[in-house]
Amino acid sequence: MSDIVQTGPVAVAVVPPSRFKRRALKHKGLMIGTIIFAIIVLIALLAPFISPHDPYAQDLNNRLVPPVWYERGSWLHPFGTDNLGRDYLSRTLYGAQISLLIGISVMVISGTIGTALGLAAGYFGGRIDLVVTFIITTRLALPVVLVALAVVAMVGGTLGIVIAVLGLLKWDRFAVVMRSATQQVRSLDFVEAARASGAGQLRIILKEVLPNVMPHLIVVGTVEAASAILLEAALSFLGLGVQPPLPSWGLMISEAKNFMFFSFWLIAIPGAALALLVLAINMMGDGLRDVTAPDSRS
Amino acid sequence: MIFSSTRRVFGMILGIALAAGLAAPAEAQKRQNTIRFAYDQVPENVDPFFNNVRIGVIIAHQVWDTLIYRDPRTNEYKGQLATAWRWIDDKTLELDLRRGVKFHNGVEFSADDVVYTLNFVANPANRSTTQSNVNWIDRVEKIDSHKVRIITKRPFPAAIEYLAGPIVIHPAAYYEQVGPKGMNEKPVGSGPYRVVEHQIGRSITLQRNPDYFRDGPKPQPQIERIVIRFIPDRQTQVAEMLSGGLDFVMNIAPDQAQQMRAVPTLQIVSGGTMRIVFLNFATTERSPAPQLRDLRVRRAIAHAIDRQTMARQLVGEGSQIINAICFPAQFGCDASQVPVYDYNPAKAKELLAEAGFPNGFDIDLHSYRERNQAEAMINYLRAVGIRATLRFGQYAAMREQIRSNRAGMAHQTWGSFSINDVSASTPVYYKGLDDDISRDPKVIELLERGDSVTDPQQRIAAYREAHKLIMEQVYSVPLYNLVTFYAAARDLEFAAYPDELPRFWEMRWK
Repeated sequence: MSDIVQTGPVAVAVVPPSRFKRRALKHKGLMIGTIIFAIIVLIALLAPFISPHDPYAQDLNNRLVPPVWYERGSWLHPFGTDNLGRDYLSRTLYGAQISLLIGISVMVISGTIGTALGLAAGYFGGRIDLVVTFIITTRLALPVVLVALAVVAMVGGTLGIVIAVLGLLKWDRFAVVMRSATQQVRSLDFVEAARASGAGQLRIILKEVLPNVMPHLIVVGTVEAASAILLEAALSFLGLGVQPPLPSWGLMISEAKNFMFFSFWLIAIPGAALALLVLAINMMGDGLRDVTAPDSRS
Repeated sequence: MIFSSTRRVFGMILGIALAAGLAAPAEAQKRQNTIRFAYDQVPENVDPFFNNVRIGVIIAHQVWDTLIYRDPRTNEYKGQLATAWRWIDDKTLELDLRRGVKFHNGVEFSADDVVYTLNFVANPANRSTTQSNVNWIDRVEKIDSHKVRIITKRPFPAAIEYLAGPIVIHPAAYYEQVGPKGMNEKPVGSGPYRVVEHQIGRSITLQRNPDYFRDGPKPQPQIERIVIRFIPDRQTQVAEMLSGGLDFVMNIAPDQAQQMRAVPTLQIVSGGTMRIVFLNFATTERSPAPQLRDLRVRRAIAHAIDRQTMARQLVGEGSQIINAICFPAQFGCDASQVPVYDYNPAKAKELLAEAGFPNGFDIDLHSYRERNQAEAMINYLRAVGIRATLRFGQYAAMREQIRSNRAGMAHQTWGSFSINDVSASTPVYYKGLDDDISRDPKVIELLERGDSVTDPQQRIAAYREAHKLIMEQVYSVPLYNLVTFYAAARDLEFAAYPDELPRFWEMRWK
């Protein structure tokens, strides 16, 4: 059974901080990803100050105004307005808040669950490992989208529920990676040394093991955050995610699909924003993996 | 305006592309005298008594005939399978039947067909889908080969309207032999079109009935074939329409219809329909939203929504504001004495404060169609402090939540089965039946009276009083009627009617 979750050799050598910094600055993908991500985070934080309009304020007499680069567009609504006359730029800016909130919250919740399970299984082995492996395989047998759809359809979709559902479902990769990484770290000399000096189990796990598997945790975290953002968009697109009038990018795409033949910017703008954010996070994840890998792999 | 010219340019480019590559097949359709029509719902059974979807009604009137026909232009009743009718007493309707009518299988139509069909569907054990369409019939008796009497359970003045709407006549011997299931697989009626192929769930092909009787209210059909395909996604329908793969579709979104006007191979026709839209409130003790039990809150909601702007901007040309829960042309839909609540957000806020909600409250809004209209209402409510969350789902799911007291506020629409009598609309929601979530005994009593007295003046008076009471208590916010947009090949000649029933038998090529 446990073979299923064995993910091949995992590098455990940790790159010293000085070399990490040097490598990181030289890694183009990581830098571009980080810059784009930082800009989106800034936009999300500053949305209330930089948005030209209230993202919820509708004006039915000014519907479907095209963006400024069309002849009928104006700087009053740089990205135009949607089918209820709401300012599209403001909604796109506020949408960053929701996507990031979901990405980060889901990452934290699923990361905590997955890391705890993975560390316990990898460190203690034996029965605990068997039990955790069983839980992981059980979880892997459930298709995430299907379960999320069913739960949201039953309980109703609010931002909180979407975060909770995705957080409780998406911890599997954390657990798998943490388990195999921990298995390799636990037999290394410094862990033995700590044990010999009489440190308690919890202290060894938190102070010796965890810092040494952290690079993997960060890489998995970025991948999961990006996938959570996409899943939320998918759920919202199907009408079962975040509910109106919240300006979620997935929801904006869903609402725009009736207009795609003639007002394609309604789909293109949130679609591009979503693609950019996910691309940036994935570039960061890839970059971090390259930078934290031992010399022989980069 | 400059933009609309960009749009026109786009439309022209699209049009040139279509003209070059795709207009040829459309021309071929004209030569082959075939209309290719698509619809997004699939009837569970084509037998008109065993489905409750619009496409079922549309097919019913092409393939079958009713006893009486209502002229959609004048609202005048004309004889179809019946030639004359009279009330013998307030529960007995006698009908003379037309001679020389043949069903598609060659069998001559007679009184036996009416007797068997109506007695079969009126029997609750046979589980016809919409019981309210037939449960007023007690029994049907044959007087002679072309004369029958329908005996109703209670006085039921709207009977004529039902006989002109959902109640079609099947050939008795065939129906007895195959039942509703066989009728679905191989439908046989007497109407202007006969079914030549039914691929269940995919398509139905209709062919002109050459033996259709001549002196009836439906003219002899001109179009040879109608191919009806079930395409669930409206965007796919539009794409097929743009590429010349279809000749006729209905229920296009208003915005899209506006934009499709620029395509030179198409014509867009719109028509107001009988389908009314309203916001309904659960006000009983078991209401899941107790705030709604306060009249001031309900009045606040009525003042918060700008119906006029919604009708103009979201529904489109042809949409009218309604002030009572019924379609204005229905008999008994008298809104002359109802209080009207104007759009006044300031007053709404005041009323909410008075009711003890100066900071508003949270509530769910249940909805199943026209999602953009539900969202617009949510934004209007938000502007006065009521934070509504959209609960959007299938109609069956929403109906279940309403009936089990789990929905406080519902965005409803109702098409009355195209029946032009108020007994088909208001009582459905306020006469104490399953969908009644306010259950006011006075309203129930008034509607009961309106549905059963025979004197038209007394009926109108009872309904008028009921509508007044419903609106004084604001059990709902009446909004507007919907508009159906049809897109068709440019050279097809057709008319749009409020009953949302395309009449293929009177269509022709220009």
